[in-house]
Amino acid sequence: MLNSIHSCMKCGTCTGSCPSGRVVSFRTRQLVEEHCLGEIDLDDIAIWYCTTCYNCMERCPRNIDITDDILRIREEAYKQGKVLPQHKDIMSYIYRTGHAVPINEEIKDLRESLGLSRIPPTTHKFEEALGIVRLLLEEGGFNDK
Amino acid sequence: MKVGVYICHCGVNIANMVDIPKVVEAISGQTNVAVCKEYQYMCSDPGQNMIRKDIEDMGLDRVVVAACSPRMHEPTFRATVADAGMNPYCFEMANIREQCSWVHEDKEEATQKAIDLVKSSVARASLLEPLQSTEIPVTHSALVIGGGIAGIQAALDIANSGFKTYLVEKEPSIGGRMAQFDKTFPTLDCAACILTPKMVDVARHPNIDLLTYSEVEHIDGSIGNFHVQIKKKPRYVDPDLCTGCGLCAEACRLKGRISSEFDMGIGKRGAIYVPFPQAVPLLYTIDPENCLLLKHGKCGKSPKCEDICDPGAIRFDQEEEHIDIDVGAIVVATGYNEFSPVVKEEYGYGKFKNVMTGLELERIFSPSGPTGGNPIINGTEPKNIVFISCVGSRDKRIGNPYCSRVCCMYIAKQAHLLKEKIPDANITVMYTDMRAFGKGYEEFYERVQKEGIRYRRGNAAEVYEEDDLLFVRAEDTLLGEPYELPADLVVLGTGLVPSPDADSIGQMLHLSRSADKFFLEAHPKLRPVDTVIDGVFLAGAAQGPKDIPDSVAQASGAASHVVNLLVKEKIHAEPIIAEINEDACVGCKTCIVLCPYEAPLYDDEKKVVTINRAVCKGCGSCAAACPSGSIKMNHFKNEQIVAQILEVI
Repeated sequence: MLNSIHSCMKCGTCTGSCPSGRVVSFRTRQLVEEHCLGEIDLDDIAIWYCTTCYNCMERCPRNIDITDDILRIREEAYKQGKVLPQHKDIMSYIYRTGHAVPINEEIKDLRESLGLSRIPPTTHKFEEALGIVRLLLEEGGFNDK
Repeated sequence: MKVGVYICHCGVNIANMVDIPKVVEAISGQTNVAVCKEYQYMCSDPGQNMIRKDIEDMGLDRVVVAACSPRMHEPTFRATVADAGMNPYCFEMANIREQCSWVHEDKEEATQKAIDLVKSSVARASLLEPLQSTEIPVTHSALVIGGGIAGIQAALDIANSGFKTYLVEKEPSIGGRMAQFDKTFPTLDCAACILTPKMVDVARHPNIDLLTYSEVEHIDGSIGNFHVQIKKKPRYVDPDLCTGCGLCAEACRLKGRISSEFDMGIGKRGAIYVPFPQAVPLLYTIDPENCLLLKHGKCGKSPKCEDICDPGAIRFDQEEEHIDIDVGAIVVATGYNEFSPVVKEEYGYGKFKNVMTGLELERIFSPSGPTGGNPIINGTEPKNIVFISCVGSRDKRIGNPYCSRVCCMYIAKQAHLLKEKIPDANITVMYTDMRAFGKGYEEFYERVQKEGIRYRRGNAAEVYEEDDLLFVRAEDTLLGEPYELPADLVVLGTGLVPSPDADSIGQMLHLSRSADKFFLEAHPKLRPVDTVIDGVFLAGAAQGPKDIPDSVAQASGAASHVVNLLVKEKIHAEPIIAEINEDACVGCKTCIVLCPYEAPLYDDEKKVVTINRAVCKGCGSCAAACPSGSIKMNHFKNEQIVAQILEVI
């Protein structure tokens, strides 16, 4: 089955709707067009500027899965090892702690003030689960990137 | 029984994949086969003559032609055999093109299949029974539903041919959407100037019975003989006494307090009103939803309209009337509604007061509209204007994937009119694709561009408000860059959707709808004004979005088909219909539930079903389902079909 992006009628609703595109060099329709033509530059940093807000996909008059397609493009970039240092930093946080944003004392206090346990029921509490998270990342090729 | 069999080469279409001499050899000498011949093109004159001559010389009483699909040429060959004196229903066609030569790649197997198909047709032909078509008298009058430009044109054309025509319009005046327009693209003719003479012609025509403020309530019958019930809503005004002077509307206590439907809610009217000054008929109408007397039973000491009307035309006791008419043909011209852009939340229609639709702006332009034709939007003259195209069209998200065909051009026209009225205005049209397909349209588009209207490719993404000013966001798809424009007026190029009346009229007439929800024509290319229901025709935007010239052309086309029918004293009814054995019928009504055309009718006295021959389309649903086997489908009787099947298994 053809990817729905091939039914793009180049109306520009996606680019016009993109909050990121107003401040950075990301141009939604351009990426869709490049994907249609099979000419995506996975080295272009712009593919990482989409915030996945889904505005474009909700408004597309041809019902194209634009945001989902961008995620697929990123998966492909990742498979080819085209990962930014910032992504590596975040992944290493996850590898080390199981969290992209690990807990700190301030958050622990906040949790307590809200009547929650100081430590959340995540890898912070269940250290054995951290091993599973690491296994998943390794299976996904974390060490090769 | 003497069957003549004719195998067609169809040039190379059949002959390249089917070994025709081999088919002729296999069929010759089969039971009942008196002669088997082949020919290059059976549908040509020499091919048809061959059949005629054999019928006359050899006394054939059954003919089988093995050629293409019966869709195209079955009528041709039926006429051929009838010419030579054979009953046309004893003709049978074997499809060895679409169902054989075109779809197979192995010549030997295709030849064997062709032989089987021809044998099968011979077996069926041997059991075919001669059928006689019956004659039905024709009522020489027509009904046109909808008094817009399409209905007006159709009614005038039919009436001018000498036939009584009933034109039914639900609003107080005819004129439809076109009456709401100011100018028309691309010629900039004043819509009223070209429409009102036609409206007056309708009112004065001796053959037209104009029924305004009326609705079709019920339709039964069939081609040549429809019975229609029409509800005439009370106007609460005596049409014979009202002079159209308008003093009542001036006097009405609610004057200027009720939203005018005709002005798309921008203008105001009173409880007694005419929708617009050129209304036909020029009769005032009291709106019972708002009139103080009709709604609350009290209007001051006495109703002011009644007090001021010298001829005494006000009739608060008027009641609705039901009129029964008989007609031979019906034209459906129910038109369109403007797409409601409320569901396109990102454009802020209904939220920001300076976002309006194309039809609303049309009323602003009209000299008889709420601003007297001055381009004043909510009290001010706009200077920065943005048009947004394809609102409600080419949009799968809201369920309208089709192009509405008129928006590109009405936007161009409205941009032109605004520029003319406000020369220093900045006007931008945000468009998806420009579709200027009609005569003079591309030239008009260029003219508008030269007048300084900025066309920027790429449709608007959203409209937002900041400090009382609107901003429209879009991508200029040719620059590949997003941009924003400030605007004090945003016009939505709203598309066309079927009129809601299409639902009830469609149900009454059993009309099909296409995926776009407009009425479906009988054939998209060759029968664009017919429907699958004989005697019912389509005109104008009821069949799909259309501009004025196309609506008028289709209306004249529909009228000519109506006249073709009405000039006949009698029409032939197709004999390939269901027949019921009333002695065997148990009155279970299964057939009544299944029939899409209301052909089976329950006879309360005899407790059995009878079939209306004029309505039956011969689909066979009833015959297949009848638990007692009382219904037989002529030309497709069980034994005929079984014989056909036995030859191919």
